Amino acid sequence: MIADYTRPLIARTQETQRRFPLLQIVALIALFLWGTLSLPAFAQRSSIDSMLVLASFLGIAAAGQTVVILIGGIDLSVPSIITGGNLMTTLLGGKHWSFGAIVAVILGTAALVGAVNGYLAHHHGVPALIITLGSGSVVVGSVLAGTHASVYGSVPGWFTRFVSPASTVAGLHVPQVVVLWIVLTLVIGVVLHLTGIGRRLYATGANERAAQLALVRTELVWVGAFATSAVFSAITGILLGAWSGTGEQSIGDPYLFLSIAAVIVGGTSLIGARGDYWRTVLGSLILIVLTTNLVGHSYSEATQQIVLGLIILAVVGTYGRDRALRDRI
Amino acid sequence: MTSASSVSIVPPGVSVRAWLASAAREYTFVFSLVLTIALVIANTVVLPSFASWSQIPGELGTLAPFALAAMASTPAILVGGGGIDLSIAPLMGLSNVVLVIALLPHGLGNPAIAVPLLLLLGGLIGAINGVLVAVLRYPPVIATLAVYFVLGGIDLRLAPNPVNSYPHWTAELATSLWHVPGTVLTVGVVLLCWFFFRRTAYYGSLLAVGDDDVAAFSAGVDVAAVRILAYALGGVLAAVGGIALTGTIQSADITVWPSFVLIALAAVALGGTALGGGRGGFLGSALGATAVYLIQTLLAALGVDVFYVQVAFGAVLLVAVVAGSQLGRTSPMWREARG
Repeated sequence: MIADYTRPLIARTQETQRRFPLLQIVALIALFLWGTLSLPAFAQRSSIDSMLVLASFLGIAAAGQTVVILIGGIDLSVPSIITGGNLMTTLLGGKHWSFGAIVAVILGTAALVGAVNGYLAHHHGVPALIITLGSGSVVVGSVLAGTHASVYGSVPGWFTRFVSPASTVAGLHVPQVVVLWIVLTLVIGVVLHLTGIGRRLYATGANERAAQLALVRTELVWVGAFATSAVFSAITGILLGAWSGTGEQSIGDPYLFLSIAAVIVGGTSLIGARGDYWRTVLGSLILIVLTTNLVGHSYSEATQQIVLGLIILAVVGTYGRDRALRDRI
Repeated sequence: MTSASSVSIVPPGVSVRAWLASAAREYTFVFSLVLTIALVIANTVVLPSFASWSQIPGELGTLAPFALAAMASTPAILVGGGGIDLSIAPLMGLSNVVLVIALLPHGLGNPAIAVPLLLLLGGLIGAINGVLVAVLRYPPVIATLAVYFVLGGIDLRLAPNPVNSYPHWTAELATSLWHVPGTVLTVGVVLLCWFFFRRTAYYGSLLAVGDDDVAAFSAGVDVAAVRILAYALGGVLAAVGGIALTGTIQSADITVWPSFVLIALAAVALGGTALGGGRGGFLGSALGATAVYLIQTLLAALGVDVFYVQVAFGAVLLVAVVAGSQLGRTSPMWREARG
């Protein structure tokens, strides 16, 4: 459509915003400048590295959430699978399993749980919200019962360095986990935009019936999307195992709503098929830079939460509102 | 399978499965009722004192906040449009904190003053959710998630540490009031209101909007007003839930409400309310919450590791919603769309 300059500025800005997350980029730069100008140590290398590491944890957990939201679902089992992956990592590490075996077992189990989520939600037409809520409860309960919640395991030393903000890659001063995040971002970008898998995903999210008529096996898309989500949550759990050094039975809890917040602040719509992972990357960076700013200015946890709530409303107000009823008749 | 005998309650020419499906659509609470009765029996068998008169008021008192959280979550879901209210739990927390910190120590603790004030507060915050959803057209998950964070922050600011309250009237709500379990006053009155509420014209509008908002709008229903009122109703019930919660914990403690967030949604689903809207009710949600509570007490009485309670809770929820979908209880439109 040719841009119609007779339309009001707000409508045109919204149109641009739908195509390109301009607002998010401006917000990220503004938040970063605010921190740099008002906090002495904010723009130091160590501080930036810490923010990047924290953003990569959130970004990887929110990657799966993005994929699931793109097909019109939602995944509430994220925190449970993070906690499960975290406890299993330290437990099996303490039993001197090889690292490869630990990762294989955790990611395999997670993929299975996610696939069951996708199948139950799609095949039985039950809201994904409830299915993932139930399966998350089963997963975290099983892991806690199996480990008796007392995890005094350990992780390999190299793995602790992997998530350390002070780590380097090939002599470059970049935390290793951040490189992993960049690689994952590129892979997700390629899969979403340059492969048939990505096209099927967007088609399913946009209009499931139409996708079926175009011979997309939407059930498989649901199973795959939820399995992907669970695997990304498990990866976050494993990484958090290295970060904290011990298993913690509530380590995943903050990610329940933060992973959703990262997706929607980034500008991916909960309606499905509108959005992208790199928007979620921006959303994760915005949330972490914002939190660091608020902590740096010694605002309380309470203020941080209130600001987060208001920011969600402000951001979504610019792009993600539903259509008016009178336009849907 | 149409060979219904003459004594059968299944009408002739209707398959048993179709009849069950229509019955399940009409009486959405039946599954949770059966589950609750079975669990009451199981609890009593395992621990006979469970059903003793001295135990019941306390048990009901512990149950009340769960049941009210589930009931408060119901109207937003019933009214459809992807409706959900994630802010119910932190609103219960706010009601609890305001009662203990602001009202009781400042001479406003008399139930005749405190209760209306809290209900008004809950209704106003619920109405804000409703305006965000119905007028400003935010997706309900996002609007109520934002309010969740804001209320959670306010709770944390008001009561960063637990504050004990001196003995006051809410204690009787969690135990007995003139030999009547206090829960009869909280949950019971709400349920009684629900039965009268079902006779009102608003109830019809609520279900019509929940079933198909565009059709209701075309038929002249003020959809925005119906939605705002539904969220406000949820807020009022959340305030009642906060009062019941104060009864059981006798303090302002913000570490309690987070455990209600997901259990309330699970209880609503167990209670047979369709998450797509338009079908269900308070009775099912109250029974769903009761079932969740009874699963906990049963496993505790059996001496099962507390972590298996979570497993059992998740498994029952999955089985219930999947079985429910088999009876065509959840979203028949979905099935039509899939042909």
